[in-house]
Amino acid sequence: MLTKAAIDRLRQKVGTGNVYHEREDLLVYGYDGTPETAGIPDVAVFPQDGEGLKAALAFCRDEGLSLTPRGAGTGISGGSIPVRGGMVLGLTRMNRIIEIDEENLTATVEAGVITVDLFNAVASRGLFYPPDPGSQNVSTLGGNIAENAGGLRGLKYGVTRNYVMALSGLLIDGTEFFTGGKCVKDVAGYSLRDLLVGSEGTLGIITEATVRLITPPQDKRTFLAYFRDIRTAGEAVSRIIAGRIIPATLEIMDKMTINCVEDYAAIGLPRQMEALLLIEVDGHPAVVAEEADGVRRILQEVKADEVRLAANAAEAARLAAARRTALSAVARVSPTTIIEDATVPRSCLAETFAEIERLKEKYKVRVATYGHAGDGNLHPTAATDERNREEIANVHAFFSELYDKVLSLGGTVSGEHGIGTAKKAYLLRQLGAGGVAVMRRIKDAFDPAGCLNPGKIFLDAPAPPSTVHPGGKDV
Amino acid sequence: MSEPSPAGNFRPADSPSYESILQCMRCGFCLAVCPTYALTNRERSSPRGRAALARAVAEGRLEFTPAVGEEAYFCLDCKACTTACPAGVRVGTIMEFCRSQEQGFRPPSLPAGALRDFILKRMLPSPALMEGSLLPLRLYQRLGVQWAVRRFGINRFLPGALAKMEGILPALEKPLRLELPEVIPAQGKKRGRVAFFLGCAMSLVFPEVSRQTARILSQQGFEVVTPREVKCCGAPHLAEGDRDTARRLALTNLDLFLGLEADAIVTDCAGCGCALKEYEELLEGHADHGRLGRFRAKVRDVSEFLAGAGIRTEELRPVPMSVTYHEPCHLVHGQGLSGPPRHLIGKIPGVELREMKESNWCCGMAGSFALKEREASRKLLERKLAHVRATGADALVTANPGCHLQLAWGVRELGMKQPVLHVVELFGRALPA
Ligand SMILES: Cc1cc2nc3c(=O)[nH]c(=O)nc-3n(C[C@H](O)[C@H](O)[C@H](O)COP(=O)(O)OP(=O)(O)OC[C@H]3O[C@@H](n4cnc5c(N)ncnc54)[C@H](O)[C@@H]3O)c2cc1C
Ligand code: SF4
Ligand code: SF4
Repeated sequence: MLTKAAIDRLRQKVGTGNVYHEREDLLVYGYDGTPETAGIPDVAVFPQDGEGLKAALAFCRDEGLSLTPRGAGTGISGGSIPVRGGMVLGLTRMNRIIEIDEENLTATVEAGVITVDLFNAVASRGLFYPPDPGSQNVSTLGGNIAENAGGLRGLKYGVTRNYVMALSGLLIDGTEFFTGGKCVKDVAGYSLRDLLVGSEGTLGIITEATVRLITPPQDKRTFLAYFRDIRTAGEAVSRIIAGRIIPATLEIMDKMTINCVEDYAAIGLPRQMEALLLIEVDGHPAVVAEEADGVRRILQEVKADEVRLAANAAEAARLAAARRTALSAVARVSPTTIIEDATVPRSCLAETFAEIERLKEKYKVRVATYGHAGDGNLHPTAATDERNREEIANVHAFFSELYDKVLSLGGTVSGEHGIGTAKKAYLLRQLGAGGVAVMRRIKDAFDPAGCLNPGKIFLDAPAPPSTVHPGGKDV
Repeated sequence: MSEPSPAGNFRPADSPSYESILQCMRCGFCLAVCPTYALTNRERSSPRGRAALARAVAEGRLEFTPAVGEEAYFCLDCKACTTACPAGVRVGTIMEFCRSQEQGFRPPSLPAGALRDFILKRMLPSPALMEGSLLPLRLYQRLGVQWAVRRFGINRFLPGALAKMEGILPALEKPLRLELPEVIPAQGKKRGRVAFFLGCAMSLVFPEVSRQTARILSQQGFEVVTPREVKCCGAPHLAEGDRDTARRLALTNLDLFLGLEADAIVTDCAGCGCALKEYEELLEGHADHGRLGRFRAKVRDVSEFLAGAGIRTEELRPVPMSVTYHEPCHLVHGQGLSGPPRHLIGKIPGVELREMKESNWCCGMAGSFALKEREASRKLLERKLAHVRATGADALVTANPGCHLQLAWGVRELGMKQPVLHVVELFGRALPA
């Protein structure tokens, strides 16, 4: 329990309006987009600058609190949930775009900048920041970096990691770090930067990032291809990749996803089809024309049932926006949606779809599947109800068996959402005790006392029951 | 919205259904569009936060605390989150229920409560009483005063609110309700018969606008029936959490308008249109299902109606000017109508439409919000007017009396040149004399 005097002291340092400890505030800083789980912090703090941030950290040390960094709370593996209470440290009020360097093609931002705001700011200078997670209108750069977020353009342009050049911030003991820089090449010592990208807020607090910018493609063309059999769609993806064509976007939606998205967006998607692919090729006009022909030919060869070309950029943008709503749109049909992040080598897509169909039958679960097919990254999403314990058990059994298959194919339990609280057991299955132990040593080196974002990634530290509300579940 | 569900710490009467709350899967998409979240950057003032508070109450993890009540009233009920939410959550509606809960848990103190009751239960339901009242403090403004007096006490609240109220209300003309002929014949080839739902605010504050609506409908070939017995649509009551009176009014209007045998029920007030379209839900279990369905099928905003019927353009005269369009929340988010008003504007020869940024963001009026939360309201208004100014358009067009008052006030306060026009006023200028 924090005393009123302690809270007042904190307020003096960080600003009254930046410290919350009313129950109603704490309740809403205990969740993110992850179902079935939430915690309650003792205090939530939103520093506006580096000084405030340092004061918040010092306060945690003085009061013996653990600390959980939080961006926009759109994470879907539980990363920003304060499973042991303590302080939630919100970064959304450190949201300045510090610099757009047109000579070096970089942008430097504070961690709380919203992804799409950076995109727009650099676009207005004729530059391009490609990583575009579905949550880009709300997610923060800090959260993107901490989760190494992907997006719809991942296939051709890569994920967040491919754009991070430098990071600065604080370790939990107050040590300041700066890693990387504007140099295109840099092998001075271990690459801390690369360790911090994807560290899910467990190694350090990122306050500032410098990212690489590129020039936007001159031209693009967007296709929709419809299929009566989802395995054919999977085959089309594998063949496009094998055909040495790398579209910017190669997304898949199955029938249930199509119908949920259409219920929301009403843009005329084909409700009766088993699957659709959203394909965008971009680049130099000559290359675009050639790749578009290639894509068309492959779609004909695998006998796609229908192929449509988006009439203009506005229509293409509407299609991409609709695809971004998939996860939330699936939530229309049931109170709880449990999303997974299974990723396989791309040649195995058709086989993975077949397995999903088989397991849906076996466990009698409703699952919508969509995802970044070009990356081999699928998001089978169960539409369920957390009040129905039996069904929930089936859903978890479904995913567990699916991951057996995914791992046997050389896949991974998380392509882009991270481990957080949701996938700790799966991580152990993928890496084995030895692999996890190495990670644990790294964690201990950064945070020996285990105060920074505890209860994540590693199975060994279950949360005390008092801080996890009754719906909560710790795998 | 009232299936059998655990009410948790809600009072059983007029509580939001648990299902409607559970529907939120916390993706956060709505954070990008919520004006109150943009103002405070505080999660509890966001749609996701509000849904989470309601859920905590429903699950017995939180009492219905004063802070929950505050959030229910701080919500603009602009429904931008409903448009943005892929999961179909309606946080604005959940907050309307929470306002009822607040009234139940903490009934207003006696004098303020009596004033509120008088306004909601006697004056608004009775047009004659309202029109006869001489005070310039009408409608939502009254509700705002009583609310704030209750919360902050007379002295802290009154001076500022009164000043804004005086500033915002134009000189009142004669109410149109008593002036407009009950039946206006169609001109040219007759295309049908419409019942005109003349809202209180339109009749009292913007009679000249609604006169244009009737004129346009007639010119476009429709016989216009305007019943004098019309009651308040009930929107202010829903907004303030008085569902009982809202239902009473709705039942009267339902009977009245179904009895007119019109092809459509048309209104030029986005707020009324929204409320009328929600009668089906409000009266579920209180009126015959089939009749509710028939009523719902007939309700149209005037731009929706005209765009749907097809606009006769032969006789229109050019109106050479540029305009920008502010979308009323109750039109764009409440009724999902974004295209029709623009279609109407586009049909006027000579008019150039210049889109502003964030055209579908709330102007800060939001019923009595403009009086209760004057600081916040003003910030939203200034944000809006900055976008208006950037277009350089000659006029600012909208389609709802609340927005109209607030925008006109803001334009005067900031010394801007743009007159504020209802879309039918603009269209009216194109009609042959
Ligand atoms: C509808 C929807 C669609 C999505 N689509 C995608 C997608 O296409 N691709 C994808 O990869 N992800 C996607 N996500 C997941 C999520 O949006 C991303 O992981 C995103 O990067 C999280 O950003 P955030 O700001 O919300 O971070 P949060 O959820 O607040 O935090 C995520 C993690 O980062 C840590 N963290 C946050 N800020 C910092 C910081 N400054 N320093 C250190 N640690 C920090 C937190 O502790 C936590 O562990 C989606 C989520 C939703 C709800
Ligand atoms: S209200 Fe809708 S958009 Fe907002 S968090 Fe909930 S599900 Fe997502
Ligand atoms: S109705 Fe408007 S103010 Fe209320 S939560 Fe939704 S977006 Fe925010």
